[in-house]
Amino acid sequence: MALVGLLQGCKKGQLGDGAGTGSGERLSAFMKRCEDEVRLAVSEAHGRMDLVKVPMPKEMKGSLAGFSAGSAREASVNRFGMAIDLDLCNGCGKCILACNTENNVALVTDEEAARGRFMHWIDMRGGAPFMCAHCGDAPCEKVCPTGAANHTPDGISAMMYKRCTGSRFCGANCPAKARKFNFNDAQELGLVRKLNYDVPLREKGVMEKCSLCLHRLQNDRMRFKTEAAIAGSNAEWRGRGVKTACAEACPRNAIVFGNWLDPESPLVKAAQGRQLYAPRELAEHDPAVVFMMGKR
Amino acid sequence: MLNFLRFIGLLLLLPGLVALGYSVYQGPAAWAVDSSTFWGTPISLFVFWIGLAHAGTLLSAIFLALDIKMDKRTAMMAELSTLCSLAIAVIFPLMHLGVLDRFYMVLPLADARANFSNIRSPLVWDFCCIGVYGILSLLFFGTHLGAKTFSGLKKIRKPLAWLLFPLVLWVHTVVSLDFAASFVPEWAGAFFPVYFIVGAVYSGIALVCCILWFEGYRMRLLEKLLMISSWILCAIWLWNFAAQRTFCTSAFIFAGLLPQLYWVESIRETRIGRICIYLSVLLGLWLERLFLVSPNLGTTAGASFGWVDLGLIAFSAGAFILAFTSIRGGLGSAMEGESTFFGEVDSTDMATSADGSEEDEALDPADEKNYVEPWASHETRTLRFPLFVGFSVATFFCIWCAAQLNFDNIELSLANVIPLVYPIAALVAAFIVCGKAYVNEVRPNFGSVQLRHRKVMHVVAVLLLIMFGSLLGAFYAGGKSAPSNQEVAAQPYNFENTEGDLIGDADSSAQEISAPRAALIWNSRCATCHGTDGKFNEKFIREYYPVPQKLDSARIDSIGVDSLVNVILNGRANMNAYGNRLSGSEARGLVRYMQQLAKEAK
Repeated sequence: MALVGLLQGCKKGQLGDGAGTGSGERLSAFMKRCEDEVRLAVSEAHGRMDLVKVPMPKEMKGSLAGFSAGSAREASVNRFGMAIDLDLCNGCGKCILACNTENNVALVTDEEAARGRFMHWIDMRGGAPFMCAHCGDAPCEKVCPTGAANHTPDGISAMMYKRCTGSRFCGANCPAKARKFNFNDAQELGLVRKLNYDVPLREKGVMEKCSLCLHRLQNDRMRFKTEAAIAGSNAEWRGRGVKTACAEACPRNAIVFGNWLDPESPLVKAAQGRQLYAPRELAEHDPAVVFMMGKR
Repeated sequence: MLNFLRFIGLLLLLPGLVALGYSVYQGPAAWAVDSSTFWGTPISLFVFWIGLAHAGTLLSAIFLALDIKMDKRTAMMAELSTLCSLAIAVIFPLMHLGVLDRFYMVLPLADARANFSNIRSPLVWDFCCIGVYGILSLLFFGTHLGAKTFSGLKKIRKPLAWLLFPLVLWVHTVVSLDFAASFVPEWAGAFFPVYFIVGAVYSGIALVCCILWFEGYRMRLLEKLLMISSWILCAIWLWNFAAQRTFCTSAFIFAGLLPQLYWVESIRETRIGRICIYLSVLLGLWLERLFLVSPNLGTTAGASFGWVDLGLIAFSAGAFILAFTSIRGGLGSAMEGESTFFGEVDSTDMATSADGSEEDEALDPADEKNYVEPWASHETRTLRFPLFVGFSVATFFCIWCAAQLNFDNIELSLANVIPLVYPIAALVAAFIVCGKAYVNEVRPNFGSVQLRHRKVMHVVAVLLLIMFGSLLGAFYAGGKSAPSNQEVAAQPYNFENTEGDLIGDADSSAQEISAPRAALIWNSRCATCHGTDGKFNEKFIREYYPVPQKLDSARIDSIGVDSLVNVILNGRANMNAYGNRLSGSEARGLVRYMQQLAKEAK
């Protein structure tokens, strides 16, 4: 009897209509759904940001989290980050769409969309894009039990999807609530397409968030190192020339991506002489994604 | 009464199982999830049941350790309620995981893939402490049960009680750190450990009182303790309100105000009045845990309570009642002392009536008269030596942890292992104490046990061995791997001896890139999974994917270069597509390199 009850419970439940079947759907129709969702998210955005002044990000204050490849504590020459120019940004939301298609971010069911719970890595808060700040002293990484959330030596707060058990402790501990949890099996519900083959689809039950387009950086690093090995040079890779999808898509160039430790980086040049801000709850955690407004 | 309770339990359990099955299938979307914590009902149920699980042993072990006399039946009831509620409690953090089958990754042991859990996380401490607490509670209960047959086991009850005493407080402190160590504003506070322990004791005493009520008697000492803990908890709530402006009114009414009706004699002295007070305490504390885990529940920011949430609550209550009554009924008189009490014995204050069967073995009189070397004394043999061994093992564990690769980068690395020190020490010490008792007391007298009981014991032992064996499977994945910290191909080729152009023509797919370039690309892009020698990084692969076919010249030749290039560029099954990252000529060069590796492998 108990077994019947358990089996009854395991029967597939409907998670809301309008999920679509996915496989038969044309790509253009899918893209249309993506655009509609982004438009809805931008129009419904209600979060506010309480900004405080921060200095320019330097080397990470907190020590590196575990699981980096080398055991030696080398001083990294890279710390990637972004600055969002609030004087230029008009909150059009093109960055969200670019990010979603670049990173295969899943759509959500109508039910969740009505509640304003999107999977988007970029949220609109106070009329400006807000994403994971890649804190140098990240609270989310400290509480992850399996080490799925961890820091790369290049200053990116990365996710190991295959090691995430979905305890959601990181999500509870993120002061800015920048992390998104995969409540749905998006592939089964036809809510996701592998638009970009460089980024894996996330399975149901794992956390995800902005990766600073880690795949673009990794690709560039490997190319650079292969070329360097052939040329026999000892040049350090600084990630020059790489841009995140949101920075590329911004029509007013309000999002600047770069390397905070590289004086030649467009990011450092753009932030020179500008006043930098970060959300109040993140300011003490050494964020690498900051906002620019006005002159210093 | 037992049959009635079983019926109630079944009535709650069956719909509860539907809810449990549904939420395991559907994942965390099934129940009401709070927007700020992503947690919800399972975690509040976990905190509630783990609180209930503490009071039983707390009462039994601490009373024993402090020489407060308690009759055997009450003590056994308390211990059994601990075990049952612990079993219920551990279900919830497991079922609330997004990816259930990866739960073992939380264990702080380097598994076969040389991965190590993040020992900074309170969840890891939690997982270990509760595991150790469960094992020790089981040993304590088993010893108490076995003491009837093997009288020698009585001697180790007190050492075990002394091991459990700090462990109970330790475990609940660690559970509270899950909350207090985070950045959620409602949970910030150093008072959390005290708060959690008081709440746990309070709810646990109420549960034990309930159980005694169903057994048909009461214990005034427990009721007095219940009142005292209600005042402490009220004080903490009021202080929390003054400090943080958070207050759960319903919890205060049910668990703070209503129990004060105990002062009214007409309520206190009627059975209905008493059970109402106990149940109101349990309800109030459950509401309080729910409020704690999801402060936004019911407001616009939170989700609304659904049938799954109600079903999970029904499941926990039903499963507890059913488990408790079945074990209680199955063990029957084995749980009762020589002097049993039946029916209404309200006027008997059992706290002071010494139960002869519970008398501890007096120390050897010779120990008291003569001077004994400290290391040869009775205390040393029974408890100090096992504890010494336990703490040594814990120290070795710390040193071993510190030697782990990823510890180089974790700040405060050793301080983060400290929450694990006492549980490990207690576990080892308890095993030594029980092992010694088994060798000295149980084995020699085993023949005197009835054949039926012996068979049961054998079955239990075999089941435990099977469980242990299946756990080991999580740590062995098979296969060989290069150490993950090895620099991949520092010197892949001797460039001076190579011919042809190194840069190659990257654009035309008809041409092939040179072998050294292919080797470099292989080492940077492919070697993570496929290994520098093409023989796979097996332990890495096995963690995440099914292990693919072996590298084999005949196989490569039979598939053909073109279709392999196609796989590299467009992906297949678990192989990622590299079309955006590699050109056709590079893929072609990689296939040529694979052929070369296959030849070398032979």
